[in-house]
Amino acid sequence: MTSHDVSHGSNGPISTPAPSSGAPSSGAPAQLSPLRRFLLTNEFGLILLIVLFAVLFAVTTRGFTTPFSLFTLGRSAAVNIMIGLSMMAVIVTGGLSLAVGAIGVCAAMFLGYLIQSLGMPWPLAILAAIAMGAALGFINGFAVVRTGLHSFIITLATMSIFFGVMVFLTRAEAFRGLPPVFADFGKMKFATYFSPLLLVTLAAALGLGWLYRYSVLGREMLAAGARPEAAELSGIRVGRMIIYCHMLSGALAALAALMLVARNGAAIPSMAGQLGQDWLLPAFLGPVLGGTLLNGGRAAVLGTCLGAFLVTMLSSGLLLMRVGEFWVQSFLGLLLLLAVLMDKLRRSYLARRNLV
Amino acid sequence: MTPFSRILRTDWFGPLIIVILAVVVIRAFSPQFLSPLNIQVLLLAIAVNALIAYAQMMIIAIGQMNLSVGAIGGLAAISFAGMMEVWGIPAPLAAALALLIGLLCGFVNGVMIAVTGISAFVITLATLAIYKGINLGITEAQPFYGIPANVKAFGNGSLFNLIPLIALPTLVAAVGLWFLLFRLPAGRFILAVGGNEHAAQLSGIKVGRTITLAHAISGFLAAGAGILVVARVQVGQPSIGDDWLILSFAAPVIGGAILTGGHVSVAATTLGVVIVALITQALVLFNIDPFLVQVVMGGLILVAVGINRLRETRMQALKRSV
Repeated sequence: MTSHDVSHGSNGPISTPAPSSGAPSSGAPAQLSPLRRFLLTNEFGLILLIVLFAVLFAVTTRGFTTPFSLFTLGRSAAVNIMIGLSMMAVIVTGGLSLAVGAIGVCAAMFLGYLIQSLGMPWPLAILAAIAMGAALGFINGFAVVRTGLHSFIITLATMSIFFGVMVFLTRAEAFRGLPPVFADFGKMKFATYFSPLLLVTLAAALGLGWLYRYSVLGREMLAAGARPEAAELSGIRVGRMIIYCHMLSGALAALAALMLVARNGAAIPSMAGQLGQDWLLPAFLGPVLGGTLLNGGRAAVLGTCLGAFLVTMLSSGLLLMRVGEFWVQSFLGLLLLLAVLMDKLRRSYLARRNLV
Repeated sequence: MTPFSRILRTDWFGPLIIVILAVVVIRAFSPQFLSPLNIQVLLLAIAVNALIAYAQMMIIAIGQMNLSVGAIGGLAAISFAGMMEVWGIPAPLAAALALLIGLLCGFVNGVMIAVTGISAFVITLATLAIYKGINLGITEAQPFYGIPANVKAFGNGSLFNLIPLIALPTLVAAVGLWFLLFRLPAGRFILAVGGNEHAAQLSGIKVGRTITLAHAISGFLAAGAGILVVARVQVGQPSIGDDWLILSFAAPVIGGAILTGGHVSVAATTLGVVIVALITQALVLFNIDPFLVQVVMGGLILVAVGINRLRETRMQALKRSV
């Protein structure tokens, strides 16, 4: 499975001009005012959709705008955005990670073990759990770089291995005796509706935005993902960058799982479903809606956040509209299809008009 | 090239040796391993798992992946059970309709991928959610228990107390797939598209139609596996198919399928399924923790892709030297 297999339309704004078929002229993209340029971005489309659906749900359903509903929405959004960011960190390399859910659960169970069985103080245990996530990510990255195989098959195998070892060691039993700080943090409210979990996610998103935009390390990650050969020739150690991306993804997955621990008040082996598969859809929805290119080289941090937020809002709104909780998954699948189709159309439109 | 060295280079030779060795070793440690009852249990597992593996193998053949194999299998399974319980449709007709549903689901996957050119990974991730959601929407996560007696008899029945009846459809599918892939133009087109899509297109193969065909066959096989599971466990559970993903990739990869496409083997994939079944059995027979099955499966995939990679590079080196 080479990277052309995960092709995703034409190139993104910061890579080279798209090979447009029907372009009237090649060369520099047409000059646009900053405002018009923003209006054509994915992010603007997502904001428009979020506002549209927020108004729709507020008008048609009862209880969408109550403080409690907004609180739970924010709490779920915080976790989903973090899961999306975790996947985005790997998609940057042009790969993907099926193991985000498994890594997250492993880190959360490790936290439970450290606190409950070893009596480790909780701040230290949180750091250790995040380090655990990064370590499992390292294993993925190392295996991908060393074997030269596509990350799909590597992470398919490691998701089975990580989850299996975790279940074997914990006997599939939850750690429920965590200190009350976790549950308290999960229940905490600012101004009756704002969950502090959103602040954690915000901090992570700002950190990632800074990383990809201003730091040398982040730029090298993007370069390694966009054109591995070119990056190698310009002195970037591509293999090392790919490993760093997987470690970052593992750490973010651990963070997402810790937030779930705070929400549940316990570390539960089944919190991401069988082998952590339940995280796969939210993990891909955010980045794909947000315009992260699946063949690598571009990280849309804001887009991923908005995309994951839109998805969370849609699913909670659909629940309030009494669509039936079992159908929500189908809607999310349809949404993913629509999103990739729209993105494809938007890109080909922009390419035809020579605007990119 | 001598006939022997030609056999050495086939996909099925390595897995066959492993199967023989495994059987001998396990038999040495546990006398009841080759009892008729145990063979029947083994064949039951192999029959269902082989169809799951073939469903993924068809997609690996065109160099893509199908995450929705389990979701299609589950949807077909609950449709099969549901049509019989709720509408009282006779079992053969219900099975045919369920197979049609699977075919349709695969067809939709294929058309979406062929028409839009979006990666199979994203499309099948989306349809995985859609099909699974339809499954849960219909069943509301409650199983169908009203399985007719003739289906139960089929699920329990066996030839000569040794070969379960469930294995017969799988056998037909295996022979049919081999014939399709290696004797019919359509199958050769599938392998050609998997080997080099661009070259296949230039030589006049209709790539989109071939991709759609492969996905439709994959959906059909997944639905078949779902129906067999219903016959075997005698309940139409909505959770059927949830744990097929790892398995569906493990067997073809152990059988030497190359994930970039164009190179699969029905016999070797079947042997891959047998190896997985033998190892699972061995874990049970030796009282090893069943939780470790997942770890072993993951490890097997890693080892197999590693070996395939080595074989691939050696083959290329060989070709270059010739």
